[in-house]
Amino acid sequence: MNRLNLRELVFNFIFLLLIQLPLVYRITLFNKAFGFFYVGFILLLPTRLSRSYLMLIGFFAGLLVDIFTNTPGIHASACVLIMFVRNFWLAVIDDDWQEFTNLNIVTLRKRGFIAYLFPLIFVHHFVLFTVESGGLYRFGTLLTTTLFSSVFSFMIIFSVNFLLKSNSRRS
Amino acid sequence: MRRLLDFLYERREIGLFFFLEIVCIWLVIGYNQRYNASFLNSSNDLAVTVTQASNDISNYFELTKINESLIAENEALRQQLSLLNQNPMTREDTVNRILISNSEVISNTFNRDINFLTISGGSKNHIKPGMGVISASGIVGQVKSVSENFSTVYSLLHPNLLISSKIKRTATNATVQWDQEAYDKASLKYIPRHITIRKGDTVVTSGFNSVFPKDVLIGVIDEFTISEEKTFYEAKIKLATDFTSLSNVYVIRDLLKKEKDSLQQL
Repeated sequence: MNRLNLRELVFNFIFLLLIQLPLVYRITLFNKAFGFFYVGFILLLPTRLSRSYLMLIGFFAGLLVDIFTNTPGIHASACVLIMFVRNFWLAVIDDDWQEFTNLNIVTLRKRGFIAYLFPLIFVHHFVLFTVESGGLYRFGTLLTTTLFSSVFSFMIIFSVNFLLKSNSRRS
Repeated sequence: MRRLLDFLYERREIGLFFFLEIVCIWLVIGYNQRYNASFLNSSNDLAVTVTQASNDISNYFELTKINESLIAENEALRQQLSLLNQNPMTREDTVNRILISNSEVISNTFNRDINFLTISGGSKNHIKPGMGVISASGIVGQVKSVSENFSTVYSLLHPNLLISSKIKRTATNATVQWDQEAYDKASLKYIPRHITIRKGDTVVTSGFNSVFPKDVLIGVIDEFTISEEKTFYEAKIKLATDFTSLSNVYVIRDLLKKEKDSLQQL
């Protein structure tokens, strides 16, 4: 692991997970969209980690968020699911993904970044809101909440990574 | 045997996946039990320290609002005091039955599908799972689990919480349950059709169980319909408590709860 990679990892961890915790359900847009930007941390973990490690990290990150929201298991299950499908989805997006050591805007390019992150965030949020509301009834509200929240979370992750990138290029 | 082990090793990822998901499902189901002492919730010490720090900051910006609500409450209390002074003989019973303790709200959600509050005060302050929580303006919820210094509370905005209530004007018993739609509305269930209700009727707690005392305000009837073939009205109430700005709540301790509950079990 080179230095930049490690620094980025630590920054992602601190910003996306630790900042998220006290704010979980406080960051809302029009009382409709929730920003769960901590998924950025687990989705942008380096590629050399095996799937088992990814799932374990996802599980504990999810559980940590769960403690703050009184929903043990809900965030964790959604995280484990997206960690499981992560590498399959990467292979679909980009054929030579295994050559990257870390995932970010530069290596994936903007297009790949959106195509990689957004569907997985959507799946994560969909599982989350479905389990939380206790089923698929009220499907319309569920879908709009999921969509708005995914867009919101994605925007936060995107802008954080974008700023981080333009910073490190300068230095 | 060797081949079996190889096979299992090859499938370890999917195995781990199912294992972790099953753990999650077990956690979800376990938490849906009504009261529990799980440490995986917002009243655990670590979570509270972090949440309290962020709450302190946001509280600072809401000081004017909190101040206003306290002044209003003070005024109402003073009014009651003057009434009490006029006729000092109207105490309901001689036993001091209900104790009320003040708690600070540390975290509170109102826009999710299931909502909880975290409040200060835990087992050290004699708070136990199942106790009722009210605010100056009306009912708030019921304690779910407690740690030493903090408690997690089911908000009224949680579909699992059913509150035994009555319409004050007609004394009809009903049940209040949140329908997950808006944070200032809840549905009022089981009002039989022979009762005539009006928009604006006050709904209060019935006092049949020992969670809430009698006549605590829940809300007022906002809209209602009844179709030809139904036995019960479909009614909605506007909640008296403003869940968007809760800062101080009161936990209700009924000293005769045990006695009352054991009698009802007979």
